[in-house]
Amino acid sequence: MQRDWHDIAGGGALAALGIGVAAHAGLTHDLGTLRQMGPGFFPVLLGALLAGLGLVIALPAWRRQGTARAFAGREALAVLAAIVVFGVFMTRLGLIPTTALAVLIAATPAPRAGWRWRLVLATAVSLLTWAVFILALKMTIPVWPWSR
Amino acid sequence: MTPMFNRRSLLATAAASVMTLSAGAAAAQEWPTAPVHIVVGFPAGSSPDTIARLVAEPLSQRLGQPVVVENKPGAGGVIGVQQMLAATDGHTFGATINGPLTTSPRLVKDISYDVARDIAPVALVATSPLVLAVSAEAEASDLAGFVEQARANPGDLAYGSVGQGSGAHLTAELFAVAAGVEMLHVPFQSYAEVTTSIMGREIDAGFMAPSAAMPHVQAGKMKMLGITSTAPFAQVPDVPVIAGQAGLPADFRAELWNAFIAPAGTDPAVIARLNTEIGAILQDGAVQEKLLAMGWQAAPGSAEDLAARIAGDTAVWGAVIDRIESRN
Amino acid sequence: MTTWDGLVHGLGTALQPSILIYSLFGVFLGTFVGVLPGIGAMAAISLLLPLTYYISAEAALVMLAGVYYGSQYGGSVASILLRLPGTPQSAVTTLDGYPMARQGRAGVALFTAMVSSFSGSILGIGVLVMLAGWLSGLATRFGAAEYTAMMVLGLVAAATVGSERPAKSLAMVVTGLILGTVGTDVTSGAQRFTFGQAELMDGINLVALAMGLFGVAEVIANIRTADTHGRPDRVSLRQMMPRAADLRAMPGPILRGTTLGSFFGALPGTGSTISSFLSYALERRVARRPERFGNGAIQGIAGPESANNAAAITAFVPTLTLGIPGDPIMALMLGALVIHGIQPGPMMLEARPEMFWGLVVSFGIGNLFLLILNLPLIGIWVSMLRIPFRWLYPAIIVFVCLGVYSVRGSSFDLIAVAVIGGLGYLLALAAFSPALLLLGFVLGPLIETNLRRAMLISRGDPMVFLERPIAAGFVLATAALIALSVIGAVRRRAARAGQTPAPPGDGAD
Repeated sequence: MQRDWHDIAGGGALAALGIGVAAHAGLTHDLGTLRQMGPGFFPVLLGALLAGLGLVIALPAWRRQGTARAFAGREALAVLAAIVVFGVFMTRLGLIPTTALAVLIAATPAPRAGWRWRLVLATAVSLLTWAVFILALKMTIPVWPWSR
Repeated sequence: MTPMFNRRSLLATAAASVMTLSAGAAAAQEWPTAPVHIVVGFPAGSSPDTIARLVAEPLSQRLGQPVVVENKPGAGGVIGVQQMLAATDGHTFGATINGPLTTSPRLVKDISYDVARDIAPVALVATSPLVLAVSAEAEASDLAGFVEQARANPGDLAYGSVGQGSGAHLTAELFAVAAGVEMLHVPFQSYAEVTTSIMGREIDAGFMAPSAAMPHVQAGKMKMLGITSTAPFAQVPDVPVIAGQAGLPADFRAELWNAFIAPAGTDPAVIARLNTEIGAILQDGAVQEKLLAMGWQAAPGSAEDLAARIAGDTAVWGAVIDRIESRN
Repeated sequence: MTTWDGLVHGLGTALQPSILIYSLFGVFLGTFVGVLPGIGAMAAISLLLPLTYYISAEAALVMLAGVYYGSQYGGSVASILLRLPGTPQSAVTTLDGYPMARQGRAGVALFTAMVSSFSGSILGIGVLVMLAGWLSGLATRFGAAEYTAMMVLGLVAAATVGSERPAKSLAMVVTGLILGTVGTDVTSGAQRFTFGQAELMDGINLVALAMGLFGVAEVIANIRTADTHGRPDRVSLRQMMPRAADLRAMPGPILRGTTLGSFFGALPGTGSTISSFLSYALERRVARRPERFGNGAIQGIAGPESANNAAAITAFVPTLTLGIPGDPIMALMLGALVIHGIQPGPMMLEARPEMFWGLVVSFGIGNLFLLILNLPLIGIWVSMLRIPFRWLYPAIIVFVCLGVYSVRGSSFDLIAVAVIGGLGYLLALAAFSPALLLLGFVLGPLIETNLRRAMLISRGDPMVFLERPIAAGFVLATAALIALSVIGAVRRRAARAGQTPAPPGDGAD
């Protein structure tokens, strides 16, 4: 039988997060008293609550049928890599090279072969960001690697 | 808040990039060679921010470079100081209240700086006393009545402050010890919340900036029982000084202040230049008037004056913190 | 001076040509930055703040206010077309607006959002005119206990009424509350879950969270499939205009939304967010076919949009009379007032009526500008969806990155967007609601500080939540909602077992 794996995994992960949060907050922060609650009180309470809710989600799902949804791994990897690259290189390379690079990385998994349209897109988006953020909004961010 | 948005900054960045190429040995008379950044540890629109902007505007004209105020709020201004220290470009300074330089090192765990080692005082900008305010419907009509009420019911009166270890909190504790009373401390995030809570009769009192209390006093919803300066304050001349009243010592005094600071190791000539310019700005009558309207008294002085104030206040408030900690 | 005199006075102020021009400029700039993902009113207002030194206080406020609601509307455009909300309020708009856009009804969704915003503002002004005095007293009657109880009610209502699976909804709210505790604890100053990262001391960046949970996750999910559906057909003007049935569906939600928004707006800090979620929950509850919510129900746009705009109007009362700003943007506007030597306070209504009412009237006029400016633009916005997704999505990603980067120039925030985006995609796969996470995140710190304050003031006695009548009302409403939702769940289970079928039309969860 195809179990409802989405809820099992989701509920389980949230329960684990809840336990982690409660444990970390309980160990590092003062719980205080009901009258004078410490910084640990609220997170421990919430962590316990989340752990309980996670179990309520995960346990019944074990005996329930579910439909699996496709996992877009390649797409996720490309998009997240583009964001990280943007974050790391923005301050070093400047707006236009970083934008072009991020567009090329993000466009990798697009369902159409060929590099020409990707290069055109990278150029177009770079120009657009420059027009919007530098020309119109006057943001003071470096545009090129040498304009710092 | 967006440090990167500035009307003049596009040209300035271009100019700066040209200059840095040729500025092998940047001497103080060439400074500033780039836009000057003032990091404020409080949100835009708050009084430290407004004061910083009030000075930044004319400072930009005097220095011939844009002066950009950046808001890095958090931890009672500590984050602003830390962010200032993280920048090493020689053009980033800080505008702060007294807390991060005097009491925060005692109160905030894992603070990443040492005031004496890492911070170079630049100039004091303005000082402000606090008023003790209560609801207009409160029993006490004057300071003596309030102290009497507090003495009769230890721990019953609750007062609001703008956070654990804030100037308002420590002033109230200093007052409580001097008056021999005990009150419950309730931390809030802003004076506006404190005044709302007082008017709603949820809490009884609060030490606050005169300008925070004034509009409500004028509307007949609050009254001010005393002020923490040693002489009546120009903005609220009718409010009696606390010192010497209701059995309090004649030297009772508590003042907040705003100052400009720099990272230690900044060229002394740069600090001297900044101190001179800020001092000149504070002599301007229009600036003084705007400060007073916000409840602040312009306080021009040397960098050494500021250093002395930091040392003195650190000792006074340190003793108050010792008492709070020993009680817990 | 009576309210009526004040209003006439205010009309005189607001109709000065210079004020009108600043209003138009603010609305235009606000719409522009609001449509850009991640760039909100904050960025535009910071850009304009230096300018406000040189113009009159009235003009400054009118301009900043124009940016404020202009960007709110622009934010709903991005939410409806691309599922890119920048605030919790526009996250509510995505719930039904985005499904409508995917069904080729983007034009109708945008029209609904615009008309509801406009009606909410105008009706909100009406409420303000009639009830200004009463509203100004409301905030002082709300202490820490009342705020805590009210916000818990908001969270529970949003979680239990808005979903088929209350446990999954509640889990998202609680996750949001937990994420809200990251950073410096305002009551004690302790650093929680910062793991030595100075960037986390201020907490997780709201824009990074919203962009990661919605925009990035949505892009990942759509790359493979979007263009295979074929591009949407060219939309004719007639399709863009709402049908008669659409129009008939709007007045009820707008009136209810405005009522909620007008009330909660007068409570500083939380009004706009709570009222849009409550309005959504309410519409779902009163709807004859609640299952349409989340799949493109017009009521799900009309109610919340009118609620948050009405709240934005009545929020001026606590902002100007108590000096308590409703959000960081209002705080910036207060700062602009203080720069001009005007201290907000209870005397504001009496001492500066032309200022107060001028502002209120200009809000109405600005919303009219917004309507006139944007109605013709609907066609342009909708035709943007005809761009193939493979061209569109890399640009969306770059704009999201730049939007987040512009908040404080931090690489850390972008890494955070990537991490949150990945997690957001996993949550979407498992059918968890990101909007509720955002709600919990925004309200969490407020609930915690108010709860701790309430307990401190009551000297540790939890009975304070029942002894104070307003707080008790909220507690009872919360309890009733939970009871209803449990009964509904039990009944559904019984119905599924085939013993006692649930009565038709029962939408209780």
